[in-house]
Amino acid sequence: MSRVITITSGKGGVGKTTSTANLGTALAIQGLKVAVVDADIGLRNLDVVMGLENRIVYDLVDVVEGRCRLRQALIKDKHFPDLCLLPAAQTRDKDAVTADDMIALTNQLRAEFDYVLIDSPAGIEAGFRNAIAGADEVLIVTTPEVAAVRDADRIIGLVEAFEKGHPRLIINRLKPRMVNRGEMMSIDDVLQILAIDLIGVVPDDEQIVTSTNRGEVAVLDRSSRAGRAFAEIARRLAGEDVPITVFDDNPGLLNRIFGAFGIRARGSER
Amino acid sequence: MSFLDTLFGKRERSSDIARDRLLTVLVHDRVKLTPDMMEQLKAELSAVIARYVPSVDAGAIEVTLLRGEAVDHLKADIPLRRTPQKL
Repeated sequence: MSRVITITSGKGGVGKTTSTANLGTALAIQGLKVAVVDADIGLRNLDVVMGLENRIVYDLVDVVEGRCRLRQALIKDKHFPDLCLLPAAQTRDKDAVTADDMIALTNQLRAEFDYVLIDSPAGIEAGFRNAIAGADEVLIVTTPEVAAVRDADRIIGLVEAFEKGHPRLIINRLKPRMVNRGEMMSIDDVLQILAIDLIGVVPDDEQIVTSTNRGEVAVLDRSSRAGRAFAEIARRLAGEDVPITVFDDNPGLLNRIFGAFGIRARGSER
Repeated sequence: MSFLDTLFGKRERSSDIARDRLLTVLVHDRVKLTPDMMEQLKAELSAVIARYVPSVDAGAIEVTLLRGEAVDHLKADIPLRRTPQKL
């Protein structure tokens, strides 16, 4: 049974696209067939995060409007042939597709893939509604900041109103040292406010910037803490029981010594 | 915040400020309660309670919204002054 999962947030810039690219790649590493869909029509981004921008011929709107077959629009990943991207149209806007189009599209993708991950646009308007229309489950990305958590709260209400079940939460860009100093809301603060299930915590990691610069995703880089966090989330998505690790941003002396030998102790478990 | 900071009355932790501001903002988002209406609610609440419990500390009433599994809770914390008992 294939699963269609939409990644959304309400607020922009909290890491939806990065999460989609990393989770898609991590599931592909597990040997699963995965399609990642950029539903942000007019603001195409998932292609550049995955380094596939030069291979685009057709896009999602071309498929919906019948200018090409679905297979022609799917772009194979550089590393995993079973990972495909369906890019958004860049020169159209969100009105080019309807919720029914998205449902039909996701049903077509279900026939070919184990997982279909949909990268939602920010906001609560038509683009977001289209992105969740065909979804079985929803993941919500937030950062431990007032504006992002407020928007996440709004989105949770909407996802439940659209009868998409209980969404699960990814807390992104956590800085454990700031949390320890009382300068950033903790995981528990955020969970207490939002009252939803947590699927993972991704630490703030400068390597996300450098890997995105290169068009590579962090899960392929074993030294990336964010990448390892995303790999864990993907295992949880696939149903594995993995305790939530908060990868510290300040490796202790022991980790540094082990690190020199290629062994890496894990961060503290929550 | 370290013990010394507490001792010398340094600033409140910004993470606590963030959490409190969020809780306030979400009350209005969810219940559509304006700050004015909230103040009025507190005033009326204390008036009603004062009719039964004269020691109510009207200025210290805290009304917060908590999110539960199925329903949200509007929670009122109503402190009562401790007055020495007369014999």
